[in-house]
Amino acid sequence: MPFRLPPPTRPLLRAQLRSRPANGHVAFIPQCRKLVFEFCNRWPSSANTRTFLTNHLEEFARANPHVEIVVKQRTQKEPIVRGFYLNDRDKVIALNGFEVTGIAKKVQLLLDSSGAKIKPLKRRTVESTTEAARGIWSGLHVEEPFKI
Amino acid sequence: MGHVQKRLASTAAKLASVSVSTLKQFPPKEAVVPKAPKTSPSKQPHFFHAETWASLQPPAPAALTAFAHRIGLASIIPSPDIIQQACTHPSILTLHEQFRPSETKPAVNGNLETLGNSLLGLFATEYVNSSYPHLPTRVMKAAVSAYVGPTTCANIAREMGASPLVRWHRLPNTPTRRALLHSDAIASVPRALTALVYQHRSLLSARKFAHKFFLSREVDLRNMIKFRDPKKALAETVAKYGRERPISRLLKETGRMSNSPVFIVGIYSGGDKLGEGFGSSLKMAEFRAAEDSLLRLYLTRTPPHLVQLPTSTFPDGFGDIFTAKGPEAEYVPGDMGDSEVLFASADRTGLRLPGARSRASEDESTVEL
Repeated sequence: MPFRLPPPTRPLLRAQLRSRPANGHVAFIPQCRKLVFEFCNRWPSSANTRTFLTNHLEEFARANPHVEIVVKQRTQKEPIVRGFYLNDRDKVIALNGFEVTGIAKKVQLLLDSSGAKIKPLKRRTVESTTEAARGIWSGLHVEEPFKI
Repeated sequence: MGHVQKRLASTAAKLASVSVSTLKQFPPKEAVVPKAPKTSPSKQPHFFHAETWASLQPPAPAALTAFAHRIGLASIIPSPDIIQQACTHPSILTLHEQFRPSETKPAVNGNLETLGNSLLGLFATEYVNSSYPHLPTRVMKAAVSAYVGPTTCANIAREMGASPLVRWHRLPNTPTRRALLHSDAIASVPRALTALVYQHRSLLSARKFAHKFFLSREVDLRNMIKFRDPKKALAETVAKYGRERPISRLLKETGRMSNSPVFIVGIYSGGDKLGEGFGSSLKMAEFRAAEDSLLRLYLTRTPPHLVQLPTSTFPDGFGDIFTAKGPEAEYVPGDMGDSEVLFASADRTGLRLPGARSRASEDESTVEL
């Protein structure tokens, strides 16, 4: 029987080959692309928002030139700020009830966010009346402590 | 999020985004159904396609400037019209001829895309070749496709946030031309941006742009190297380098007669261990050891601080390669070895001679046949 080579592996299609992103390794692309402020010109709940827009918005805009800022009127509604991100998601924060400094903090939160969904990382801790069966782990009492 | 919502979000992401603040009137006149005219004898049906209308509107200048700042090109590109040109695909001209025949045609990125594509190919090839001198040619071509190919360019455009800014028109499959899809249209944007950096600064600035956005991404070269018979390839490679023939030795084993044995085999050329592999059978472990040895050769990487690129010999000054004036860096090419072993394609005589360059370096006057 003549020897037959095993079948070749699946061929690589060059048009489908891709690289994986590494945002931040060399270049960093900030994830927030647009902020939209919506406020009412008359209602008192928008008063602090109006103050923020007249006094502080310009410095935020100058400090973050990568963000497109839109100011819209939305009469007879509570004021909101909506942030649009590069992962096609948006985050909305209602601004009624905040002082001007609070509004500035929320705007900074939107600018710093990546737009990803908030994933709960901490779960309910186990509370027990009995002590742990194998003891609580300590990083200082292992065979090879971690060296930076 | 269910698949329906995801599909909706991805479809919405492909639509052109129009900023209402830049329009004279919203909703546009064409969208409003006119009241029944009293004097027209024939009733003209009213058609308004929102997607087509949106594709014909230019993106907001604020969005274009924000895009330029986001990718760090704000100081290089003087006006948002240039970014708009980089984001306008030539397919939009078909829509323009159909709906706005009397207006001036918008500036498109066809030429910029071609120039940028050539530049990216140049930078990626020299980087891959310099970083991995022993990589087989086909793998090098695949690596270049992975770094600057169409899929990567489309992904980079999406990550930069160019999808709402791109103006394009979907073209169907014809017998002469492949269909034009969203990923083809947005992939033109990063290529056009590379060309813009070259035009407004210099070749070395364009190279810096390419290294920053394209060549800093992760590509797994191990998955691109596939072997049919690594033992045979290793034997021939070792003969090419003039070393002793490879011998595999069992280093460690466990569970030989059980249902989950593990064997660790090392392949040695004389006293040097070339590679090591594990497996659940002796043959599998030997195969993996041969693969490992060849990968250690093919994937040897030049340290980043020692990488020399041929384009460094261009003058480091403002302007294109013909007019720039400045200091030129030294480039020392690597030593040429023999071409890689093509074990599956034996020549007609069936001989296996070491390569011409290794023979010349050994100063043999006669070749043994």
